[in-house]
Amino acid sequence: MRVHVVEDDAGVSDSLALILRNIGHTVISHRDAESLFKGSVPEAPDAVIVDLSLPGIPGAQLVRWLLNLAAPPRVVVITGQSQGFIDHQLRGLVPDGVMRKPLDVDAIARVLPPL
Amino acid sequence: MKDFAPPSDAPHPPTVSEARLLSVLDTAADGIIVIDEHARILIFNKACEKMFGVTTAEAVGQNVKLVMPTEYARDHDAYVGSYIRTGVKKIIGIGREVQGRHADGTVFPLELSVGEAATPEGRQFIGILRDLRPRKESEQRLADLQSELVHLARVSAIDEMGAAIAHELNQPLTALMLYLQAIRRAHSRGIDIVTVVGDILDKAANEAERAGHIIQRMRQFVEKRDPERHVRPLDPLIDEAIDLTLLGQRHRIRIIRQTGESLPPVSVDPVQIQQIVVNLVRNAIEAAASVPDPAIQIRTLASEGSVRLEVQDNGPGIAPEALSKLFEAFASSKRRGMGLGLAISRTIAQNHGGDLLVDPGGNGRGACFTLVLPAAPVPDEVG
Repeated sequence: MRVHVVEDDAGVSDSLALILRNIGHTVISHRDAESLFKGSVPEAPDAVIVDLSLPGIPGAQLVRWLLNLAAPPRVVVITGQSQGFIDHQLRGLVPDGVMRKPLDVDAIARVLPPL
Repeated sequence: MKDFAPPSDAPHPPTVSEARLLSVLDTAADGIIVIDEHARILIFNKACEKMFGVTTAEAVGQNVKLVMPTEYARDHDAYVGSYIRTGVKKIIGIGREVQGRHADGTVFPLELSVGEAATPEGRQFIGILRDLRPRKESEQRLADLQSELVHLARVSAIDEMGAAIAHELNQPLTALMLYLQAIRRAHSRGIDIVTVVGDILDKAANEAERAGHIIQRMRQFVEKRDPERHVRPLDPLIDEAIDLTLLGQRHRIRIIRQTGESLPPVSVDPVQIQQIVVNLVRNAIEAAASVPDPAIQIRTLASEGSVRLEVQDNGPGIAPEALSKLFEAFASSKRRGMGLGLAISRTIAQNHGGDLLVDPGGNGRGACFTLVLPAAPVPDEVG
């Protein structure tokens, strides 16, 4: 599966890419929503992992945009913020998964199973 | 006074009898010592007996060195001699803080003022003494309480930033865990990772270090320490404090940082000054949160023997009704926190000989807080 990772923290982004490749996915990393928009539009059966707290365009806005695409990819939200913050940001949005940091490989493999 | 002076041809005015004079001296709360030109004690009142543990009978006739610690006593005769010869006043007419010595050997601070009287028996010196220990003790108590409160406000600030700091710690922990799990996974599947494992472990170690730094920065800030003074350049302190404040703030705010050129150093308690910066920057971020392009400008500049730090936000400004209570403790308009921040920040600034000022802005302008600190005195050049 092709997985886009939209995460501005270099350490998290790099380690996430490593583990995703490790479980057999192809990874495309983006620092922010803007740089994702510059590439080709992700579509099913791709997956997009979105950090909720992004610089520039907020993560929740990106999630909304992705879910409204004609052929929406799988969307997985990652965040280190509180449940209150998550609920507030995601009002009305239902992504395919929400993972709270710190992440672990089992949780990732459950949401994005290896092919 | 002149108007009340008796005409010179009038009969002698009634004089106060010596007995009455002594009883007046003995009711005085302050210690009173009268000495002659040879520093011999002529009068030693009741308050002095208590202060020095020496009776009047023992004291009268002795050199006043009796109630001085050795280092003062050694030079005292020379002082008196020098004044009588040269007329240069070192203490007469000027109050100053000196040390006294109790009969039991205790040395204690005294406020001493000395007057001089010419008498038919020669020149006499009148010393009025006040034990400074009670005042020093209450000053110390006040300083201790204040430093407790300053510390409390720091702890409270970190407490309020708790969620943001937890988030910031989550990042390196996430990365660390994923790096280690990647190695674990490869290892358990018998994948050859020899060529990459060193690289991954280095990255993992870096992430652990990053988590450690966050903890360290926080700990330095909340740890309780005695107030101190160091001569430091202001800008690095400010930058560190900005980093601390931005932990977990996640970039939604633009920080415009301008550093002044050739700023003189300041003599400060570094953590307390950072406490002010953290407070001002947090307030500014909060104030600017409601506008579409939140930004704060943080700049330093030198001005007339002082160094200024300005923190300007682009929020709505401070409402006139809030302005009068802005620096009062526990008067916060915010839902969270104790409302100590600005009150404590101003106290810290004033303890440093500076001040914390506000331009409330409004009508499309944000508020601007200015911390003023005196430039550290330039050390005397050697030689």
